[in-house]
Amino acid sequence: MTADPFILWLDQDGAPGNALLGGKFANLAEMMAAGFAVPAGFGVTTAAYRHFMSRTGLETEAARVRQAAKSTDLSKIKELTADLVKGIQSAALPGDLEEAVRSNYAALEEKTGRDGVPVAVRSSGESEDLAGASFAGQYDTYLWISGTEAVLRDMRGCWASMFGEAVLSYRHEGADAATVADAAICVGIQQMVEARAAGVMFTLDPLNGDRSKIVMEGCWGLGEGVVKGDVTPDRFTIDKVTFEIIKKDAAAQPEEYRFDPATGAVALLPVEPERRDAVCITDAEALELARLAKHIEERRGGAQDIEWAVDEKGAISVLQVRPETVWSQRQNKGQMSKAKSPIDHVLQRLSGVRVATTPSWEDKP
Amino acid sequence: MTEKSGSDAMQQTGEANERFPSPFKLPTPEGAEGWEELYPYYYLFSAERQEMEDGKFWFFDGMHNPEPLYPFDTIMTENWWVAASQMASRVWPIPVAMGIDHRLVNGYIYISPNGVTDPEKIAERNEHFTRRAGHYFENWDEIYVNWEEKARDCIARLKEIEFHPLPELDPEENVFSHRGVYSSHDLLSTYNRLIENMLEMGSYHFEMLNLGYGAYLTFREFCQQAFPGVTDRTLTQMVCGVDNMLMRPDDELRKLAELAVELKLADIVTGHDDPDAMLAAMAKAEGGSKWLDAFEAAKEPWFHFSTGVGYTHSDPVWIDDLRLPLMAMRGYVEALGRGEDISRPLESLLEKRRQVTEEYRGLLPTDQDREAFDGLLALNWKVFPFVEDHNFFVEHWHHTTFWSKVRELADVFVAHNFIDDREDLFYLHRHEVYDALYDLIIGWATGSQSRGEIYWRPIVKRRRQIRDVLAKWVPPPALGTPPSIITEPLTIMLWGITAETVEEWLGVDPDAAGDALRGVPAAGGKASGRARIVTNYEDLFEVEDGEILVCRITAPSWAPVFSRIAAAVSDVGGMMAHTAIISREYGLPAVVGVGFATATIKTGDVIEVDGNEGMVRVVERAAA
Repeated sequence: MTADPFILWLDQDGAPGNALLGGKFANLAEMMAAGFAVPAGFGVTTAAYRHFMSRTGLETEAARVRQAAKSTDLSKIKELTADLVKGIQSAALPGDLEEAVRSNYAALEEKTGRDGVPVAVRSSGESEDLAGASFAGQYDTYLWISGTEAVLRDMRGCWASMFGEAVLSYRHEGADAATVADAAICVGIQQMVEARAAGVMFTLDPLNGDRSKIVMEGCWGLGEGVVKGDVTPDRFTIDKVTFEIIKKDAAAQPEEYRFDPATGAVALLPVEPERRDAVCITDAEALELARLAKHIEERRGGAQDIEWAVDEKGAISVLQVRPETVWSQRQNKGQMSKAKSPIDHVLQRLSGVRVATTPSWEDKP
Repeated sequence: MTEKSGSDAMQQTGEANERFPSPFKLPTPEGAEGWEELYPYYYLFSAERQEMEDGKFWFFDGMHNPEPLYPFDTIMTENWWVAASQMASRVWPIPVAMGIDHRLVNGYIYISPNGVTDPEKIAERNEHFTRRAGHYFENWDEIYVNWEEKARDCIARLKEIEFHPLPELDPEENVFSHRGVYSSHDLLSTYNRLIENMLEMGSYHFEMLNLGYGAYLTFREFCQQAFPGVTDRTLTQMVCGVDNMLMRPDDELRKLAELAVELKLADIVTGHDDPDAMLAAMAKAEGGSKWLDAFEAAKEPWFHFSTGVGYTHSDPVWIDDLRLPLMAMRGYVEALGRGEDISRPLESLLEKRRQVTEEYRGLLPTDQDREAFDGLLALNWKVFPFVEDHNFFVEHWHHTTFWSKVRELADVFVAHNFIDDREDLFYLHRHEVYDALYDLIIGWATGSQSRGEIYWRPIVKRRRQIRDVLAKWVPPPALGTPPSIITEPLTIMLWGITAETVEEWLGVDPDAAGDALRGVPAAGGKASGRARIVTNYEDLFEVEDGEILVCRITAPSWAPVFSRIAAAVSDVGGMMAHTAIISREYGLPAVVGVGFATATIKTGDVIEVDGNEGMVRVVERAAA
């Protein structure tokens, strides 16, 4: 039996749906295999993480911290994890692992034709996208990272973020981080999309669960503005059947996340006045995104939550795909409680009684 | 025009309590003083009924009558004042609704639905309603077959009506056949038959219509609950037929264009702007008679096609003014010359309807909802052929014929020296026409000069001046006290008026409208271009390629123009607005129900139409 690989490319055989990539990256590999435009990249697998933790002996400390966190007050967690985090950030990487990351980043440079190609370094937990236990946004993400050393540094940062306060203090319906949080994560290294605009879209209306709509939010620059919620996005509601734009709410956007060459980092920077009040994507782009969302939903067989980006040339990329978690947990019981002939419905309506009622929802058993 | 007291009242109560202007406080435009004499007493707001009238909510029915009414033309509105109302109040007693009341203000028509609130009364009416309306739904197809027979018979009797000036001596046959009644009696009774024939068709008009719209309303509300925000254009796409009588006139033009090309007569069609010259050239050409035969055959009945809604005599009709159909036909011939396919893609329209319907159905959550959807959709498919086709029978075929008969009668008045021009008769109310007719036969019978020979000319002159002034007045969308909720089904069905509409109207200040106008997004897409304001039929011929049509309201017969424009904007439009339907078919952005577009935008302004958002923006004003 061959050992589990430290590295899996998104476009590699066996990558789609592979648990070694964590939820996020396994989904992206699946999208890439299905022909969707996903930026090139590879995952440093959960096997690599486990290898690191076991070689460095940090795994024992990690187990202890997780157990102790259950009964530790939130204000003390930082103290509890300090040594572990420091260890993850500084312990020597096993030579084979380090070499694998270095050579594959070099391969990405070659593939993209760019030395020091800017990448996003993202955490992809084994269970973070599982319905009901969403740790979305709790793990760290590093944007516009350039060069092997920086990539190695931020890979450790992703690993360490598993022991952040928000993760370890997680409590939900009797479960806690020790029982539901990831035992390991994959770190995705993926070419950065130089987004002109980016955002999130749902293949249902998150306000009422209506499955006939695609609701899309977008902002200028990188999608962090939408994801973090510190930029009020433009919002489109699109009919999923006819692809009409039913509603378009433009929001003034005085700031955007973009790469700042002066500091060499991504920052929230002012948007020049002429773009501020303009909608960040064209109607045609919104419709193209909506069609993409519908395809992804059909392919994956359920309502989806999709992160997307559009570059200067208008090329669309899929950055993340995961199942919608709120309405998918519930069941629409419809609006008609008992069968009636259509004529009776109409007569009743003309008698002044509204036949149609808001559909009733209940939790799935 | 907005009342100060409205906003004060709102501040006092701290909640939305605004109202529209009182009908009693609207100023008469300068130069239109005395406009009331154009209309019968019962059409006016009056001090005697002020308390009742001021307490009601009145909205402008610009959908059917965007212009001030001609006195004679009130026969159309007076007809439905009774005919539509009685269906809801007395024939199928819709439990919560009585009729729809009317008033005229500065010549514009305002309407107000009456409701029933007493629960006992509602229950009692419900029983009758269910039995009577149920009978119609159960036997719909058979009743519609009969309806069509009645409609055709009514039109046939209308066509037989003839008016002639009275002869010097009564014809001999009246004497020798011992009839005992003479030309004077014939003239009066023919006039009565004309009016009764109109009111008869007017009654058929509403025989099945409300039930048809009721089926649509129920389906619409069901879908709006299941799919909040689903647009009317999607719903009508699921419900409407792809082929109905309203599309026939245009289809006939396509066929005639194809025939002209086939007979190698295309140059004759494209070579003449003037219809008479074209037809004369056709008569001389080889094979031209074959084309002319087809042309004549198509005219009956398909050219009885109004360029308006059909409710006013002033809208030209294809059969009387061939410029519009021939312009359209030229367009088709030119398209054929470029090798284009001009047939309407019925198969793909049907396929599209099937696909949209199937997909929506698949999104419903339960079997019971799918069953309700299927049932309501099937019922709509059953009733929609009537809903769509009645329009050709009633408003086009019958009413255009009716107006031509009124003009024949007007010629009698011209011949007897009462008026100078046949169009002048429309400045008389139909009851005044009866009086004038009696005056005319008195003059004929006695040999004295009828007073009408002196009496009517100055009145017509004054009334014309008044109406011209009124035509420049912009009627507010509503008057009186707004209702807190609108449940009355007919108002929602026929005019698309809901509590939200009323709220929006309350928020609109026509003077502050400025460069951005909001309306109903009717057909998706965006376009910019030069505006072309079309307020009358002649303006249609000025439309240039790529312009944006800005009008009060469009009519089905305007279709040919849609192949040349970039987008359409109309002041008026409800949920079944024609502008919306036709724009969709031509793939043009459209915004309807803008309210003040023709008043705010000028021909030559560069405007931007956003059919997704329902916005119209003036980008650049034309040089004054």
